[in-house]
Amino acid sequence: MSQWVLKGLSTGVKTTRYPAQPETAAGVSPGFPSGGPGAGELIERCPTHALEAVNGGIAVNHRRCIHCFRCVRETTAPLAWRDGFEWSGLAAGPGPSPPLGSEFERSIHILVMDAGDCGACLHEVRQLNNPYYNMHRLGFFITPTPRHADVLLVVGPGVDHLRFALEKTYRAMPTPKRVVAVGACALTGGVFAPSFVTGSGVAGIIPVDVEVPGHPPPPLAILHGLLVAVGRRPPVSLISGPGAPRREVTT
Amino acid sequence: MTAPGGTSLAIFFGLCGAGIVAVWLAPERLQARLLAWAGALAALALGWAGALALAGNGSSAWTLWTVPSLGPITLAADRLSGLFLLVTALVYGPASIFLASALPRLAQRYRLRGFGGWYLALLGAIALVLLAADVFTFLVAWEVMSLLCYLLVVYDHETETHTQAGYLMLIMGEAGALAIVLGLLLAAHGQALDFAALRSAAPGAGAGLRWAVFLLTFFGFGVKAGLVPVNPWLPRAYTAAPPAFVPVLAGATLNLGLYGILRINADLLPAASVGPGLVALVVGTVTAILGILYATTENDLKMLLAQSSIENAGIITVGLGAGLVFSASGQPALAAIAYIAALYHLTNHALYKTLLFCGCGAVEGQTGTRDLDRLGGLIHGLPWTALGFLAGALAIAALPPFNGFVSEWLTLQSLLASAALAPTGVKVVFALCGAVLALTAALAVTCFVKAFAMGFLGISRSPEAAAAREAPRSAGFAMALLAAGCLLLGVLATYVVPVLDRTIQPFTGSSATAAIVPPFFASSTHHTDLPAAFVADFHALGAQVGQTVLPGPGLVLMHRGGAANPVVYAAAPFWLAVVLGLLLALAYLVVRLLVGRRRHVVRQPCWDGGLRRLLPEMTYTATGFSNSVRVIFDAVFRPTTVEDTRETVARHFRTAIRRDREEVYLIDRAVLHPLRSAALGLAAMLARIHRGRLNTYVTYVLLALLAGLLLSAWL
Amino acid sequence: MSPEDIARQLHGRWPMAAPGGADAQPGTIALSCPPPHLPEVCAWLFSEADCAFAGLVVEENADAWELRYLFHSRAGPARVQVVARQALAQKEFPSISARVHAADWQEREAEDMFGVVFAGHPRLGDFILHDDAWQEGVEPMRHRFDAQTPVEGRRPKPDWRPRRIVEAEGAFVMPVGPVFGGIAESVHFQLETVGEDVIRAFPRLFFKYRGVEKIAEGKPAHEALLLAERFAATTAFAHAVAFSAAVERIAGAEVPERARRLRVLLAELERLRHHVGVIEGICESTGLVVAASQAAILEEELLRLCAKLTGHRYLFGLASPGGLSRDLGDAACQDAVQAARDVTRRLNVLEELLRYSSSYLDRLEDVGVIAKSDALAHGLVGPIARASGQGCDLRRAQPYEAYDRFDFDTPVELEGDGYARLRVFFAEARQALRLMEQAATGLPGGPVRSPCPTKAGATLSWIEAPRGAAFHWLRLDADGRVIRYHIVPPSFINWHGFHLAVERFAFQDFPIILATLGLSVAENDR
Repeated sequence: MSQWVLKGLSTGVKTTRYPAQPETAAGVSPGFPSGGPGAGELIERCPTHALEAVNGGIAVNHRRCIHCFRCVRETTAPLAWRDGFEWSGLAAGPGPSPPLGSEFERSIHILVMDAGDCGACLHEVRQLNNPYYNMHRLGFFITPTPRHADVLLVVGPGVDHLRFALEKTYRAMPTPKRVVAVGACALTGGVFAPSFVTGSGVAGIIPVDVEVPGHPPPPLAILHGLLVAVGRRPPVSLISGPGAPRREVTT
Repeated sequence: MTAPGGTSLAIFFGLCGAGIVAVWLAPERLQARLLAWAGALAALALGWAGALALAGNGSSAWTLWTVPSLGPITLAADRLSGLFLLVTALVYGPASIFLASALPRLAQRYRLRGFGGWYLALLGAIALVLLAADVFTFLVAWEVMSLLCYLLVVYDHETETHTQAGYLMLIMGEAGALAIVLGLLLAAHGQALDFAALRSAAPGAGAGLRWAVFLLTFFGFGVKAGLVPVNPWLPRAYTAAPPAFVPVLAGATLNLGLYGILRINADLLPAASVGPGLVALVVGTVTAILGILYATTENDLKMLLAQSSIENAGIITVGLGAGLVFSASGQPALAAIAYIAALYHLTNHALYKTLLFCGCGAVEGQTGTRDLDRLGGLIHGLPWTALGFLAGALAIAALPPFNGFVSEWLTLQSLLASAALAPTGVKVVFALCGAVLALTAALAVTCFVKAFAMGFLGISRSPEAAAAREAPRSAGFAMALLAAGCLLLGVLATYVVPVLDRTIQPFTGSSATAAIVPPFFASSTHHTDLPAAFVADFHALGAQVGQTVLPGPGLVLMHRGGAANPVVYAAAPFWLAVVLGLLLALAYLVVRLLVGRRRHVVRQPCWDGGLRRLLPEMTYTATGFSNSVRVIFDAVFRPTTVEDTRETVARHFRTAIRRDREEVYLIDRAVLHPLRSAALGLAAMLARIHRGRLNTYVTYVLLALLAGLLLSAWL
Repeated sequence: MSPEDIARQLHGRWPMAAPGGADAQPGTIALSCPPPHLPEVCAWLFSEADCAFAGLVVEENADAWELRYLFHSRAGPARVQVVARQALAQKEFPSISARVHAADWQEREAEDMFGVVFAGHPRLGDFILHDDAWQEGVEPMRHRFDAQTPVEGRRPKPDWRPRRIVEAEGAFVMPVGPVFGGIAESVHFQLETVGEDVIRAFPRLFFKYRGVEKIAEGKPAHEALLLAERFAATTAFAHAVAFSAAVERIAGAEVPERARRLRVLLAELERLRHHVGVIEGICESTGLVVAASQAAILEEELLRLCAKLTGHRYLFGLASPGGLSRDLGDAACQDAVQAARDVTRRLNVLEELLRYSSSYLDRLEDVGVIAKSDALAHGLVGPIARASGQGCDLRRAQPYEAYDRFDFDTPVELEGDGYARLRVFFAEARQALRLMEQAATGLPGGPVRSPCPTKAGATLSWIEAPRGAAFHWLRLDADGRVIRYHIVPPSFINWHGFHLAVERFAFQDFPIILATLGLSVAENDR
């Protein structure tokens, strides 16, 4: 057994310094197209209608973007691309819930529920436990039962067969509770909606508080989303582009 | 009858007789109620008589008429008899109240006149066994008691297994009685047959005679007490007995076997060497571990409780054995503590086993099934029964503040006190038995968690369990009385110990009260047997709290060693209960304070992983719960066939996977079956001399006559 | 058997079966078989001709059902398609599952989706559309069913109970899921047991059914590509390449050599990353946290490598009909191979350390054993089949892309237990690196995409995905829109054999066996 102790010690510290310091390593995030001036023909190229024409160019609705890269590849007028991963914002709806109180800032228990996800978002959530991200240092813990959960992290579009399970899980959580919907499928149904088994996102089944766009959002984006849920980071607008953002940014 | 207790005994016997007559003559719809009243009143009288005998200074004796060539019939009520009379009364009282709810079901198929008569007559017979002061009375009363037990056990005789169980009980009971007769006659070795004469002849007995008497009476009484290897009848008989009778069977008659062992080995023919004590110790330990193993893996609630009775009998025997060893080794104080532990456990067992069997009877009456695999969720329909059963389960699992905790703790401590003995072999035996007893205690907790949880909690696994409603009030009342008794005996341990001590003192000559209940209720200036510094230390811990208002020497059980080891072990059950209650109350208040008005209670179904519907077949069964114990102790159970047969359609579509598991009860395998094959073999051998021809038989008669004449001529 | 032998024997034994079915590409032996002879033909192919059963494609034509049974030779290059046709009104076909058990779940899926009844199959129903959520007769894959609108008026069975097979005293069905501990996919297990060991395990899948095949119908190929890529995103590139290959084959487009080799490079990179992820899962399930952390570090490095090389951590948006959507620089490829080499070196060190952790191996050795004959009968594919001695690898048996030009081994183990599967994952990771090195060396120049004209047609394409053999059947109309898209993912095949590994073992082994199998629910549920 000593071999493992030595091995672990010799590997050193790999953990990112985020959120204390920005993380700039290559490959931590696929980035998002950045709204700005752009040709109108790009709008038809987007398969999920994430691009909208606004005054001054094109606005990108991050909630719908699925990283197909068709607005930047094989086109003569590609959109600008921006790196980074702090993408999470508050859900629209009848008044977004404020972040969980101060007693939850450094310790929350998260229940991860798969509502029909393709595997990528769940895989990224799993990476949150690896030495690079180590969400435990931020006070985020995974719990297997909704009875102990403060935050419900949902991935997947909310398919018909899991609708009841999702509702039941949400009801089984004691208040105060927040729902963090992770991934484009959870926000808008992704490429699978609308259909006879998929609605347009989880918000049709349970109330969503924080939205983390991406397809899949990298682990750092999910961390940012959780930090927004506990109020340690301000939420960010989910639309990027010229002109006024469609929703207010609350800091 | 001038001796104290005589009047109450006369009243008792009178009530028994009157009750028998009344039940015989009364109309059918009143019989159950009448029997309950008669039994309860008779138990009251008997309890009073027992209490008087306990409080008495020695022996109250009555000589009745004389039987030619066998001597006078003497009855004596010494403190030991008084204690057992009191315990019997404590069992019979609530059990009789329970009759009012359990008998109507029996009355649907059988007439109750016989039951009533035998029930009360059994009470009288038990009293006679406990009061007998000469061998003849004892044996006659014993036989009558055995016979009445048999009749009551097979009262529900329409089922074949019941009659078979009763038959086995009768056979083994008679074999045991035979051993007892032989043993007692040997002990008398030619002198008068009353107990006083036996006592005086005891010092002159040789080692061989002592061993013979010990083994014969130990295993003879062991049949009734349920000790290995003579107990295969017990689980079957307890399961076959009607629910109205089982509480008494388990609570009152089991004690008689232990009374017999105690009477012979502590009073009439005290052990001179440590051998008998060690035998009792080992037999008790083996009984305990086997009993609880079979109890844990049993699904029939009644059989589970019966095997648990075997376990408890084993624990009591362990205490008795330890006491015998300490007595023979010249450690009277430790012997006294061991005997107290055994008697305490006996009293406790009587109470909580009766309680559990009443609960089991109520469950069986309301649901029609005893199979734990088919029960479940009964706490909703039978809340009071559940509460009573829970109290019994907590008590038998030896959890404070109930009574089982104190007696099992004292038993284990007296085993640990073997450090005071000299020979290493004895110490090793004590250590091993202590370890096995600890395992038994752990398994007992598992067993009763299973019994309560599988029976009362969760989802009902059958429609009968789902539709069950609360048992009649008499059952609840009986269970409440017994549960209150369990709680009181657990909390007031320091008051029970002196009472038990009075019982034991004539036999050990030493006072256990002095050994384990230090008189903290008196200041150090008035009592010189406690060093002042010691008392001061414990006053700082509050050991004297209550001294002006409460009687008795103190509220702390403590065994003191020498100067190097001032406290060997200590416990304060009263304060334990008080602190427990205070902590619960404090926790409740703190939560109320913290939560305050923001309290928002939501009632929700159990979390089941998001299933559309949680069905009863998706919950753990009793078999599943105890399967791990079954697998670990596979070498004990030795299942003979475990078959996995797969039926398939077209080779890969499986339609059924059958798993059959057959196992034979260990005692049957080890004792009954060899005996049976030996007996059958012997009979087969003897059958060879039966030719069927008249001439041969006439020859046999002639030969026998010749042999008899030769023998008488030679003698 | 060689393709000629097979063809000759087939036509010899069943002369009533006409050779040549429509839409079979060149090199495939096609047979149009009358339905009553289906069981014998399929059984012969499976048992005598040593062909593996790849899948069953059901198509609803204007006037007839067309059932296509896909076989391919395990060792050789032969491919066989047995086509059965029947009028739409006659929905009953004979079941072949009694003799080709690998077809069991395919027939159940066809019954749920199309309403085609397979006579002789004892377990139809309650498969994809759960009986306690849907009424009978929904048949969503029929043309008359509209994919967009939800079904009104649901009438599920009110008294649904799990099917119980075990007859034992005190047996019960232990339910696990669909929402259960940790970070796990939603799947429901029904474990029948009497308390210590699992006597029978049945996975109730399709809780994550998203109707991918139905949604794809009517979409142009480039939109359906998104569905192919993202229905099982942890092996996204493999499925995207398979779909693109199908479109290319229908269009008759020739993928440029550079694109072929880059596809091999990226597919093997994905395989390496997937296997490291499975190894991490196995270490985590046994509670060997340090090893799990070490494997997690390697996996994260590979994910970052993918993002650095291609822009996305899971290689989304890369494979396209005609090649790749963007080029990767030669230097970038070499750097990627170097980084992968470094990862593999540390992976080998990890394997050495694990080999000497006896408490860890205790949980894996002789646990979750799948016998070779069972693996064969159920048609298991991928690394777990190769750990049970079934060495079929599509990269060798049915070479595609540029694999026939490269040198690599297919590791095979014989024990079929958890440790054998672990060793196979390690060995395949090393082979993946070997292929990556060969693919990145000597990359030819040129375009990475050729044009793909819109054409009507139907074809089968296949790929050895990280989890095993995957088959995609695609039919396009003249506008290039999808008429029928059927996927047979490797997880679908392997979940069928899941119970073989789990039964007879105790509860505490269940999560470990699950981890060693490395199955994906999303890939199965589509």
